[in-house]
Order: sequence, then structure tokens, then C-alpha cells
Amino acid sequence: MLLKVQNLHKIYKSGTHALKGVSFEVEEGEFLVVIGLSGSGKSTLLRCINRLIEPTSGIIEFQGKDITHIKGEELRQSKMQIGMVFQQFNLIKRKSVLSNVINGKLGSLGTFESILEKYSDKVYEEAYKCLDTVGITDKAKIRADSLSGGQQQRVAIARSLMQNPKLLLADEPVASLDPATSNSVMQYFEKINKELGTTVICNLHFLSLVRRYASRVIALRAGEIIYEGAPRDIDENWFKTIYGEEAEEVEIR
Amino acid sequence: MIKEPAMEIHPQNIIEENKKREHKYNLYKAILLDIFFVFYSILVVQRAIYYKFFLDLRELPFSWGEIIILFIISIVIGTSWAISRTSLSCKLFGIAKENKTTKWTVEIFAWFLFDITFIAGWVVTKISIVGLFSTEGLQGAERLFSALFHPQFGIFDDALFAMIETIYIALIATLISIPPTLLISFFTARNLMKENKISFAVYYILRIILNFVRSIEPLIWAIIFSVWVGIGPFAGMIALLVHSIASNAKLYSESIESIEEGPVEAISATGANKVQIVWHAVVPQIVLPFLSFTIYRWDINVRMATIIGLVGGGGIGTMLMQYQGLARWREVGLIVLMIAFVVWVMDYISAKIREAIY
Repeated sequence: MLLKVQNLHKIYKSGTHALKGVSFEVEEGEFLVVIGLSGSGKSTLLRCINRLIEPTSGIIEFQGKDITHIKGEELRQSKMQIGMVFQQFNLIKRKSVLSNVINGKLGSLGTFESILEKYSDKVYEEAYKCLDTVGITDKAKIRADSLSGGQQQRVAIARSLMQNPKLLLADEPVASLDPATSNSVMQYFEKINKELGTTVICNLHFLSLVRRYASRVIALRAGEIIYEGAPRDIDENWFKTIYGEEAEEVEIR
Repeated sequence: MIKEPAMEIHPQNIIEENKKREHKYNLYKAILLDIFFVFYSILVVQRAIYYKFFLDLRELPFSWGEIIILFIISIVIGTSWAISRTSLSCKLFGIAKENKTTKWTVEIFAWFLFDITFIAGWVVTKISIVGLFSTEGLQGAERLFSALFHPQFGIFDDALFAMIETIYIALIATLISIPPTLLISFFTARNLMKENKISFAVYYILRIILNFVRSIEPLIWAIIFSVWVGIGPFAGMIALLVHSIASNAKLYSESIESIEEGPVEAISATGANKVQIVWHAVVPQIVLPFLSFTIYRWDINVRMATIIGLVGGGGIGTMLMQYQGLARWREVGLIVLMIAFVVWVMDYISAKIREAIY
């Protein structure tokens, strides 16, 4: 058991009750996809898992250890083992692709070393290896913001790979990309999941992508899990329950 | 085996409680603000409009007893008005009753406040069209302007040296201000300091100190330092330095507050520590605005340095002061011309540099 979430609640200061007692488990090597409307609590859930936001109550267990309320050094140690990829890529725009990738390693580098940006050859080697995994080695020296959206997302994936993560969280990683690029970026997640054995939890919108890549699906609505199971079992009825009566499935290939 | 949560939580209760608490605080704030509004209107109507405008009294009668009575009256009116939930402040804090009475009182009172403020402002400023166009005044202005437009070039080399001194004063003040400003700005950026109580206290105290320092004009600082270190360019430089630090720290910290949160989130998700997050996610985003603000500050400082000279801060301002004291308007004309030229050039250069680095 890699991750166990039990009865997780999150209430924001504004009063929004984003998660209402969410419980699920994730086995090692799974490709878990979380679906649901915008505002259903998908992002909040991922951000609670790596503690970018503080859960209100409930328990999160990662590798058998309760990480719900750990602080300081302990929290940093657990963050280092959980990579995260964002919808808006969140690269440092003015820096090179290579130094963006190395940023993923910051947790295990010394403060002084990382400020002077004098890294050992081993770190560079690792960074190039991660860039190779997402097939973008030739762009290592250019500025991150001169890349296309899909390429930037691949750099972001390489950055999270730099952490050697046990668990990779992806918050709508393809929501701001075109359909063709979406598919190619999703293929890198699949590659990481299959070849490196990294567990992936991914928020997605498109059911066609879900059916193709997920090994298991969780559906959230208004902060509650309303469906849990295999992707092929989501039929027309379930789809309408998850996305509302008005929804119609949009196919992307 | 996972333990049960230590305490059963009822989310609905938490939300309700938060709402109730906010409502209560808003009512307190509305009461205070309403008391202020009522007190302000009574004072303005009584003193500026009744005494000055209608009775045209030269000396206003003043007694603390009267003020206190008026204040007590406003407390009574303000409080009851706010509690009835139909006042302007209730509307401002979003706790007013939604009905016709509220709508009318709010609208009428808001206009009333604006009108009496404008009338009081007119009375206090002593606006006089007659003064602006009197023959005597116009003749004096004409004499002065004709001298200013026929500058005396005899003192050109002296003025040039004084001008160079001014530019250097401004430059050194700007350069020395950079390191302390950088340091302070990180501690006065809300988004970096809000996490725990101690750092938030530091943020709050630093902000208060900076606001205080900034609210004192460089002119006053120059007077203070010309007594402290003696009249001359050094006093002027320190005055500008103090003001530069206080003003730029605000601009810097505001640009830190307006950075994209995404990269910060991404770097902190990798398990980086606080220093690394600031260095790798915050700093790259603020280098350019910082540079731009600093160059702009140099430009401002050149302008200020001329003014500071008036109170003994050295440079061209001191020279301007001397010739103005002797009523030698043609020399003053030359100096004013030179200041205008240098300010224009500095403005142009700094705009160009700022354009280039973006």
C-alpha cells in the first residue's frame, strides 16, 4: 500500500467545503485518474496529498507513515518523494530548461550549493537523463519560456522525475494543451508509470484519455467520491451522474 | 491500521461559526465608521459651513466642551443608525437590510457627505478668482518671468559644477540604498511572511516603520541630517538614501507580492527549503522589476536632490537658494533652466533603459 487517504475534509477559510470525507487507497504501480467537474475538489485533493494545503481533518498515510500533520524537515522529506506536475507547467520562465530540471533536485541539495548554482557532474548527468526520458535533451540550454506548451509540460515532468518520486501527482497536466499534444504528454506519463514503475495520480477531464491511460478511476462530485472502479465501466449513465444531465461526451483522439 | 480521527468534526458548524463571527466584526466596524461619518458631518456643517460661510466669522469659537457634546451626540446617532442596519457603513460592509429605507438613506447621505466636503474644501482653501487676476499681482509675475527667460550666463561654470554634484548625490544615494532595500523587501512581502505568527509580526512592525519613514518628506530628513552631520552634500545624500530605502522597499515588496504563485508552489512541492524557494522561484521573477524601480529611483532622486539643496543639502539647490535670496532673478533663470534640462534628460534616459531591459 503506497497511499491511504481516510475521511479527508478540507474547509477553506472562505467557508468552501471542498472535500467531504474522501477515502481511498492507492497500490504501488497504479495509474489512478481522478475525474470530476471544475470545482469538484480534484485539485484540492492532490494538494492535500503533498501538503501544499493543510487538510482540515482526516488521515493521509504515505508508505505506511501518517503525514497528515507533519512539519518542517519531516514534511520536506516526504515532499521530496512526491513529484507534482501542474496545469500551468509552473516553470521558471527566465531560466534555462536545464536549471529548471535541476530545480527538482533542490530538496536533496545543500542551500549554499544551490544558491551558487555550482552542481556536481552527477547532478547534470541525472538532469540530462531525465530530459532524455521525455525526449527533449536538445533544448537543454534554451530559455524555458521559448518552448511550446507541450514541450514546457515535458520539462515540468522531467523536473519532477529529478526527485526520483515514489508517487507522481499531475493536476490536469493536459488541460491547457491541444488534443494531439495532450496525447503525447499523456504517453510520457504512461512511460514513466510502466518503465520506471512510478505510481501516478492524475486529474483529467477527457474520458477518452481516461479510458486509454487509467488503470483505475475515481470520480469526485462536490467533494465526495461517487464512483470508483475500472475506466471501461464508466457508461453513459455514470457519465451523466458525474458531469450532470446536460453533459455530452466529447471525443478526443 | 488507521486510527480514528481524534475528534468528530461538523463542517457545517465551522462554516456557520465563521459566518457569525465575521458578521459580528462587520457590525462593530460599521458602528465605528458610522460614528465617524456623523461626527464628521456635524463638525463640517457647524464650523465650515455655518460659522465660516453663512456668518463669515474671522475667529472660530472653540471649546472642548462643545466638541465632546457633539461627539456624544454622534455616538448615539451613529450607533443606533448602524444597529438599525440601514446606514451607509452597513451597506459598505455588506450587512445592511435590503429595503427602500436603506437605499434612500445611503444614497442621500453619500451625496450629502460629498457635497459638504466639497464646500468645506472650497472655504478652507480660500479660493479667490480676484487674487489670481489683480493688476498688481500680474505685474509682479511679468517682471519675474521676463528675468527668468533672459538667463544670466555669467555663473554657468559654477552652476555646472553644482549640477554635477547633485547628480552624484542622487547616484550614490540610489546605489547605497540597493542592498538594504533588497534585504528589507523580502521581510515586508506579505506572501512570504504570512505563514507563522512570528514572521507576520516582523512583517507588520517593519511595515509600520517603513510607512512612518516614508511619510516624512526628504526635505524634512535633509533638515534633520544637516543639523546632524552638518550642511552640505553628505546631509543631502543621507536624506535621499533614507527616503529611497523606505519608498523602494515598498515597491520591491509589492512586486514580490504580485509574482506568480505557480512556480513557488512547484518549487516548494519538490521539498526545497525556504531559502531555496525564495532564491529559485521568487528572485528570478523580480529581478527585472527591481532593476526598473532602481533606475526610476535614480531619476526621482536627481529631481529631489535639487529640492533638498534648498535646505542645505548641497548641489544646485543650495545655489538656487542663494540667488533667490538675493533676488537675482536672471541667475535664478539660468539655474532653473539647467535643472529643467537635466531632469528632462534623466527622464528620457531612465525611460529608455527601462524599456530596453524588459
